[in-house]
Amino acid sequence: MSDVLRAPHAIEYTYTRSVGPVIDRFFAGLGEHRFQGIKGSDGKVIVPPTEYDPYTGETLTEFVDVGDVGVVTSWAWVTDPQPGQPLDRPFAWALIKLDGADTSMLHAVDAGDESKMSTGMRVKARWTEDNVPDMSSIACFEAEAG
Amino acid sequence: MAERVAITGVGQTKYDTKRADVSIAGLCREAAVRALEDASVTWNDIDAVVIGKAPDMFEGVVMPELYLADAMGATGKPMMRVHTAGSVGGSTALVAAGLVKAGIHKRVLTMAFEKQSESDAMWALAMRIPFQPALVAGAGGYFAPHIRAYIRRSNAPDHIGILVAVKDRQNALKNPYAHLHLEDISYEKVAESMMIWDPLRYLESCPSSDGACAMVVAAEDSVSGDRAPAWFAGTAMRSEATQFAGRDQVNPQAGKDCAKEVYRQAGISDPRREIDAAEIYVPFSWYEPMWMENLFFAPEGEGWKMTDSGATAIDGDMPINPSGGVLSSNPIGASGMIRYAEAAMQIRGQAGEHQIDGVRTAMGHAYGGGAQFYSMCILTKDKP
Repeated sequence: MSDVLRAPHAIEYTYTRSVGPVIDRFFAGLGEHRFQGIKGSDGKVIVPPTEYDPYTGETLTEFVDVGDVGVVTSWAWVTDPQPGQPLDRPFAWALIKLDGADTSMLHAVDAGDESKMSTGMRVKARWTEDNVPDMSSIACFEAEAG
Repeated sequence: MAERVAITGVGQTKYDTKRADVSIAGLCREAAVRALEDASVTWNDIDAVVIGKAPDMFEGVVMPELYLADAMGATGKPMMRVHTAGSVGGSTALVAAGLVKAGIHKRVLTMAFEKQSESDAMWALAMRIPFQPALVAGAGGYFAPHIRAYIRRSNAPDHIGILVAVKDRQNALKNPYAHLHLEDISYEKVAESMMIWDPLRYLESCPSSDGACAMVVAAEDSVSGDRAPAWFAGTAMRSEATQFAGRDQVNPQAGKDCAKEVYRQAGISDPRREIDAAEIYVPFSWYEPMWMENLFFAPEGEGWKMTDSGATAIDGDMPINPSGGVLSSNPIGASGMIRYAEAAMQIRGQAGEHQIDGVRTAMGHAYGGGAQFYSMCILTKDKP
């Protein structure tokens, strides 16, 4: 078969995102180095907070402060970190249930070595120096005792 | 036996250039909550959710129906998304109506939206394709030659487009939800505005809007609310390819077929006499006279005479777009559903300052793509 024309087709556009009032407040809290969840219709605390109840669809409004310490509910070890990932050395992606929360959020745990990771281990947020009101305020998590 | 289907609730957001205060979900939520309130129902009373929006590229949210499930109270319920370009708001409502008509669901929430401030539809419609020159024309550029062909074919005078632009913006001043409230709109103002897609001037084109529209569609035994519903007396959709030999882009066959079918179902033989008000998808001024012919309100070549004589004005014998239409508010994905919602509001007597007295039969119309997707409904005050 003869060659047919081929060319790169780059599609690039910078969209805007408006986060809405709930995530706006969550991000503002991160800028002050604290986590907030929101109470659902079943009394459970959802972190990060959602605008609407996952069961009833009602608008959620009751913010709850939760800790910056929590427990690892599951994890996966990253042997070769890729550019753009939170850490440039081997680390764990982990589901972390913060104290006072009933849902887990995904973040990186700087454990040093896979042998240090375990489900049920307690981890604490390591905050960045600058108080930016978004997810970048969380550098990563680390073992609580460490 | 098919169920009778009615619109029992409508909800709209105020249309605006930018709603930075809400997420996409928050914007959609406003319209949905208002529709539920209008129908006097709660999230629990809804059996299924059908949403629609323009192509994902328009906002860069892929599969927004998944992200919007909680905002639409869809947990534990069927939820689906309809996609027919600019006509999607109309098609979405008709899919919802079809589910009720078939007896599958009793009450369906349907919602359509666009948050144009977070994106650029012009970019999405005119992206550079390899081996082709960049046209950067967008929708207006696509339709301009077809408008030119209409003018040549019908010998319409040049000012018709300007009259439509002025009329729809004057109507918008009576509609609190309309995006454009141009208090100083005038013939001169439109005539002097920049020619952007010859023969279309800037003020003959629709704005870019943020907004959402929602409706509650219900079976006869599930009609609710304090206000009498608007009944679907006819529903139809038709499609055709963007290009084929012999295609008439000025007066597309799919539009004519769709109109004939929706009139047949509703028992309408003389649309201009039997329809009291119509909300027709007119994103560019000249599409009013063009659709008047495509929808058989006027003989071919004479649609412009309806505009010229004032017949399509809010106090004319065939009021077109009393809400101000797409020319005054264009959250693309929602624009078709807004036509249906506004037609329902005219039937239900809830259109406020732009209410036309005694509307018993109204038409909602949407078109999309390269004038190739059509979605139409006839709504009536009396049960069909």
